[in-house]
Amino acid sequence: MSTWLANAVDRGGATNDWLSPKRQQSLELLQQSRWPTRKTEAWKYTSVNMLVDATFAETSDGIFDAPELIDNLDSIDLLLVDGVLRSDIGDLPSGLSIYSIADTPIEQREWAAEVFTGAKPSKHYFGLVNDVLATAGVLIDVAEGVKVDRPIRVICRQSNGCESHTRILMRLGSNAEAVIIEDFAGEVKSFNTGFSEYIVGESATLEHYRIAMNTGEAISIGGCHFNLNYRSALNSTVVGLGSSLSRLDIDVNHIGEYATAKLNAFYLLNGSETFDLHSSIEHIAANGTSEENVRGIVADSSRAVFNGRIHIHRNAQKTLAELNNRNLLLSRNAEIYTKPELEIYADDVRCAHGATIAEIDKEALYYLQSRGMSKAQAQIMLSFGFINELVDQMPNQNLAAWLRPHLRRRFAEMESTQ
Amino acid sequence: MSMLSIKNLHASVEDKTILNGLDLDIKPGEVHAIMGPNGAGKSTLGYVVSGREGYNVEQGTAVLDGVELLELDAEERARAGLFLAFQYPVEIPGVSNMEFMKASVDAQREARGEAALSSRDFLTMAKEACSKVQLPLAFLKRGVNEGFSGGEKKRNEIMQMLLLEPKLCILDESDSGLDIDALQVVADGVNSLRSDDRSFIVITHYQRLLDYIKPDFVHVLSEGKIIKTGGAELAHELEAQGYAWLTGDSAENTAETSA
Repeated sequence: MSTWLANAVDRGGATNDWLSPKRQQSLELLQQSRWPTRKTEAWKYTSVNMLVDATFAETSDGIFDAPELIDNLDSIDLLLVDGVLRSDIGDLPSGLSIYSIADTPIEQREWAAEVFTGAKPSKHYFGLVNDVLATAGVLIDVAEGVKVDRPIRVICRQSNGCESHTRILMRLGSNAEAVIIEDFAGEVKSFNTGFSEYIVGESATLEHYRIAMNTGEAISIGGCHFNLNYRSALNSTVVGLGSSLSRLDIDVNHIGEYATAKLNAFYLLNGSETFDLHSSIEHIAANGTSEENVRGIVADSSRAVFNGRIHIHRNAQKTLAELNNRNLLLSRNAEIYTKPELEIYADDVRCAHGATIAEIDKEALYYLQSRGMSKAQAQIMLSFGFINELVDQMPNQNLAAWLRPHLRRRFAEMESTQ
Repeated sequence: MSMLSIKNLHASVEDKTILNGLDLDIKPGEVHAIMGPNGAGKSTLGYVVSGREGYNVEQGTAVLDGVELLELDAEERARAGLFLAFQYPVEIPGVSNMEFMKASVDAQREARGEAALSSRDFLTMAKEACSKVQLPLAFLKRGVNEGFSGGEKKRNEIMQMLLLEPKLCILDESDSGLDIDALQVVADGVNSLRSDDRSFIVITHYQRLLDYIKPDFVHVLSEGKIIKTGGAELAHELEAQGYAWLTGDSAENTAETSA
């Protein structure tokens, strides 16, 4: 355990709340685990050395990167600053309930405690850290058959020098539908772990976004974990920028048959940023489908890591699973480590996986230049197109419309450092 | 004054000489057809003049309306008024045709010191160009050439040409893979742009296109240089007799395959 973590656990270990029994279990697991180093398979290409002796403030100076308004989104906003819920949970549509983890009514604690570590596997070291330390966050409960028509946007921001650990626990009843946006951004020196767990009920539909836009010195380690029950559907999009250390673990567990998961993710890295995305899709039940498309563009001396695992269990016959990772390198100094993994124990399944790393297509560049665009402009346009294919697929086009100018600005910055 | 004047052009690709002392002089308003056997250097001429990477000019000059092209980057040549309709237009998924064409037009306007067009004004122009080449308006929103048929790609090239209004257009086998109707559309697009201050180079294997786009001159390119020049009637002779009588090869060796 690092000095930082030992101190943090000393504080967190003293926390006595309704999740304490669960936290205690995780603490024990944490104590049995080794601090991740480059010899730890899951952290082979990303170092967490900077956290060994790090110190962060527990309390906020109150200054944080204010969240942006997203035109036409009409979302239900929950603002957490340094893990503290700042928004009032106002009037909610019928069938939707939201509670602060710090202030959970007694009658809600039982189901919420089941969701807690119910979808997130214990293998994630910082997931365990979050189990122990995340006293902040929200519970979201969508009742059976309820379609929540406004997106729920959980906005997590850090103030300068602060450390925070937040948790989102969400339960969708059968036939329910909801849209959730986990919105992480900010560039000030800080450290957050943000883990979320979703139990998607029978025939329920979850549209999920993780905006992983912490940049600069904002260290962010998090995860999104889903249990998909019978005939449920997940559509998830991850938008990643890099920071001095940014890591996200996605786990999708096909618990019930005929569940479908569509995962799109893209990352755009610049400077000396790191973004490390691990995904693991567990096909436990039969007749499930999963389709994962991950794309990245890395510029300057940035580093992207993608590890995508599909694990098809013995009973998961008739599974359809596809995984694809495509990368564009804009600089000779940038690095990409990509590893798709298939592990199949059923004999009647259809699976495909692939990974590519390429430079910008010279013929396409010439085509655009031959129409009068500068090389720099052509490169931005091609980069944008490469990512925009996934942006176009976002079910919420208001969110996509907000995102595109951000991406363009990002591409322009990425070019200027060439 | 010439619109395009190419003198003694020598060019190579990967150390293989393709153009071998080519001369061509085109006056404003003229249409020149370039024909010739496979491997003669027809497409290479388009690439060299438009500035494609990997095509090395070893000797010679190419001057477009007073501007020496061969020193310039591809985009500067385009801004100087050159347009190449590609034989194989490139697919760019994720970038809409509209966005691509507006960026192209604006880049050229900016180079001339003009302001970018408003989205509304450009849309009006684009719609007009789109219907002129008989593509449904939905093609403006689709990814650039993405999933277009061969004929649709060629028409999309002509649409770009209509919007960019170049001084010199090089059509690289714009007729290949087209049925008669599509050929007519491409030809109509070209003919609508014909004017006293615009010139064309039409690279083709077949005389058929030249029935629709009447050339002022027909050149036969072989082994990197022009070996014969004539009027429109030369295309008919070539159609009837092939190239062997000009190149001295036996007809079997120069049998044409469609591109």
